[in-house]
Amino acid sequence: MALDFIIRCEAVAKSYWRGTLEIPVLQGLDLEIPRGGYYALMGPSGSGKTTLLNLIAGIDRPTGGSIEVCGYDLNDLDDDQLAGWRSQHVGFIFQNYNLVPVLNAFENVELPLLLTRLSRRERREKVLEALALVNLTDRLENYPRQLSGGQEQRVAIARAIVTEPDILVADEPTGALDAKNAEEVMALLERLNSEVGKTILLVTHDPKAAHHARIQIHLEKGVLDRTVEVNR
Amino acid sequence: MRYIHLILRSLFRSRRRTILTVLFLAVSVFLVATLQSILLTLDAFANNPNSSNRIAVRHKVSLTNLLPLRYADWIRQQPEVEEVMALQWFGGIYQDPRNFFPNFAAEPEPIVRIFKEEIVEYSETQWRDFLRDRNGCIVGEALAKKYGWKVGDVIPMQGTIFPINPRLNLRLIYRSRRLTDEQAMYFHFKLVEEGVPFMQGRVGNLWVRAKHPDEVPRLIERIDRHFADAVEPTLSETENAFQLEFLKMMGNLATIIHAITGAVLVAILIVTANTMAMAIRERTTEVAVFRAMGFTGSRMLGILMAEGILLAIMGGMAGLGLAWLAAGGIRAALGSVIPWLTDFTIPVDTLLFCLHASMGLGILSTFIPAYRVVRRPIVEGLRAL
Amino acid sequence: MVWLAFLPLLPYLAWLVWAALRHPIPLSYNWRSLWQRKVSTLSTAGAIAVVVVIFVVVLSLSQGISRAFVSSGRADQVVVLRPNARVELNSSVERGQARILKTNPFLVQDADGPLASCECMVVKLLELADGSGSTNVAFRGLEPAGVRMRSQVRLVTGRWFRPGLPELVVPQKMVGRFANLGMGKSLFFSGQSWNIVGVFEGGGSAFDSEVWTDVEMLMQAHRRTTFSSMLVRLHSAEKVPGFVKFLDDDKRLKLEGKPETEYYAQQTEAGKPIQVLGNLITVILTVGAIFAAMNTMFAAVASRTAEIGTLRALGYRRVEILASFQWEALMLCTLGGLLGAGMALGFNGIQTGTTNFETFSDISFAFTITPNLMGQGVAFSLLMGVLGGFFPAWRASRIPVTEAMKGG
Repeated sequence: MALDFIIRCEAVAKSYWRGTLEIPVLQGLDLEIPRGGYYALMGPSGSGKTTLLNLIAGIDRPTGGSIEVCGYDLNDLDDDQLAGWRSQHVGFIFQNYNLVPVLNAFENVELPLLLTRLSRRERREKVLEALALVNLTDRLENYPRQLSGGQEQRVAIARAIVTEPDILVADEPTGALDAKNAEEVMALLERLNSEVGKTILLVTHDPKAAHHARIQIHLEKGVLDRTVEVNR
Repeated sequence: MRYIHLILRSLFRSRRRTILTVLFLAVSVFLVATLQSILLTLDAFANNPNSSNRIAVRHKVSLTNLLPLRYADWIRQQPEVEEVMALQWFGGIYQDPRNFFPNFAAEPEPIVRIFKEEIVEYSETQWRDFLRDRNGCIVGEALAKKYGWKVGDVIPMQGTIFPINPRLNLRLIYRSRRLTDEQAMYFHFKLVEEGVPFMQGRVGNLWVRAKHPDEVPRLIERIDRHFADAVEPTLSETENAFQLEFLKMMGNLATIIHAITGAVLVAILIVTANTMAMAIRERTTEVAVFRAMGFTGSRMLGILMAEGILLAIMGGMAGLGLAWLAAGGIRAALGSVIPWLTDFTIPVDTLLFCLHASMGLGILSTFIPAYRVVRRPIVEGLRAL
Repeated sequence: MVWLAFLPLLPYLAWLVWAALRHPIPLSYNWRSLWQRKVSTLSTAGAIAVVVVIFVVVLSLSQGISRAFVSSGRADQVVVLRPNARVELNSSVERGQARILKTNPFLVQDADGPLASCECMVVKLLELADGSGSTNVAFRGLEPAGVRMRSQVRLVTGRWFRPGLPELVVPQKMVGRFANLGMGKSLFFSGQSWNIVGVFEGGGSAFDSEVWTDVEMLMQAHRRTTFSSMLVRLHSAEKVPGFVKFLDDDKRLKLEGKPETEYYAQQTEAGKPIQVLGNLITVILTVGAIFAAMNTMFAAVASRTAEIGTLRALGYRRVEILASFQWEALMLCTLGGLLGAGMALGFNGIQTGTTNFETFSDISFAFTITPNLMGQGVAFSLLMGVLGGFFPAWRASRIPVTEAMKGG
């Protein structure tokens, strides 16, 4: 049996328009990522790594080529179907955590569950489970501004995994953190990959963070430059 | 509603902004509610269900022309008629022109039968005293209370339309179902007829009570037809229609009030739209995050709209609350100048109008900023900061 | 009236001017900041404009009514009425009394005899042109002298009525508002047709709301035997009190004299309800507008926290920040005020009417938006600027320097 690829990109192209000027970002990129993989997308600014991440996560649309994730060809889904698909299959982790400031930690993690049919009690169980996984069960009632950066990012990770998605996408998750907190967050992601089996796709330009991934994909000017397996 | 606490929290994200907007809305809705209520309360006088049996007959040319008293005799003989009474607006002043209350000279015996629905409770002995005393008068309890009159008091009235200054003995104080009906004074028409040369055998109005409301239109038609070719033709109409004519004199007041209501609603729209635009703009990233997590565009639009509507309704309710509180004050302050406002309240119609208006304005003012932020590509929203 | 509200604020305003002159955080900085938030600025200015429009229009309404009465009288003329009658409509003067008065030596004579006019006032229902029903209109019967004595009244077209003929002369202001009222048209009442032979202009006086005709014709038509009132002219205004006293003392005549100016001034009460209502509305709306202005200014302060911190770091003092933001609020509100005053101008010249509850008859007048009224409107918006801007400006001045370092 061939490897079970959860992500398949074929000749993916994406360009932006600035007035009448077409700016190509991705130029016919092919990529396959197996289930349970931990990949880091790397490359200089403007290489298209974040764009690729966004396309795979289904929050942006390619101008050419096809992307198949979790068995869905994303081009076949309309905006609302895509939103539904994201809520089931993708968890997001952002550089600036992007927690909702008026909600406490518990409520922030609960947010994506509001889109499911789960009862209040079931939601509570799942939220507590997710927060236990990131080691923050003692901070349920705290609001984002009462948490440290590392804690905020851990809440954000709990929010990303609470719906039990197949893929976690993280855009510079350590970009706003100091070294110690960054290390903690990366250790957490690694655990999620090895223990829970999440497929993780990470964008970073921090080599230390990228070192936690199993495979590093280097992009250059919109095309795949090289793939490096990390040896530990 | 799973999102209710999210909406509530978001609404109070900037507490000062929300409170100031709610205050602005409250003040504006308060104004609209009060003005519209005043209009409706005055309008209610032209829609008095109690007066469905009554017809006002007057001279066709104008209110100031007089009818011959003998017309009453013919009207009384009509089979549909229960009672006829000569009624003259006296327009007298008690002590000071500002002490305004309606006072009438009327044929005494029929008063309680014509105004059965208004003069509800009174003592029979006092009533006989009034009939016997040519200088007697009757007043409503609310009016008597306002000036501290007791049965037996002498009330000097100064004529303005008529050159007489009758000194009236208060013989009876009646009670009504509504306070507004207790604002009037009636005294013997004979005083005016005998005191004023040009009033001999003449009166401003004849008040007719039909046996059944259904007979009113026919009766009106018959009276006017009968007197059509007389030297002094009549114009008969229901008491409500007659009242309406006085209200129509305030026609411009209604126009002004409606114009102001319109202008205030526009102001509310602008200010609420501004607040919501500010509230939504600063959440551009957040909306993008929500959508990345799988909230569809329409769901996000719904959540934002609910927030705007809630804000508008909170303002509306606060305004209505203010208006309700102020109603008592208005009753006291304006009621003494305009007796028709003694029963002033915020009618249900106004309440509903204001609630609907604020809801509608909430929807209108939120839709554009909310739609714009939701239409924005997620990737762009995530970048905005 | 608005101007009075400024008195307690004068020192503050003076200080603001001084602050702007002495410590120039340039006003153009505020102006550009306002312009940067165009939508927010314009919507707040719009709300303020609405309030100013209402303020100016309501003020012009009540002034229009007052002026109708104030400009109606002449200081050297006296209205003679039955005692206690208050208004002509309720009054009556016997022919005998009138004859005696006309020979009174107090009166001015001209070539055609004494300047005295016996008059009759009645009210009639006339249909409105817009089909919304009918309203009561005052009809005045006069003697030829009566026309000459109203110097503010001037014939626009046609001619004056001829004594003894059923002819009417109507005011220009009523022509558009009432059906069948206009040159060459006629009204039918009291069994005959009355031709409209002229149109006059009453210069904003109460006569702009009256239809004029011959006194004897009008009395005949209404089967009246007594006049309503008499208007007489004396040699000078100084003679008026003497004449009034003479009438008071003359037990035989039993008449009351009122200086014409005073008679009409008393009727300005007719504008009271609108005035009271207008003031009430204005106060409430002002409070609302102040909230709106505050909201916008607070938002402006919040979005410029770093900027303010930087200014402080550069050495500007708290008071200067306060003055700067206060100026910005004043600009914002004045913009609204100017907008509103301009919009109110659109009402200028619109004909309207209301009811004089003293006589139950219609008063016709036109909205007149004078520069003074517009000035008051703008002054009013300034007031909102001071009150609505102070707290946000105060808050801005309290922002610590360290905020500048934290970034927006």
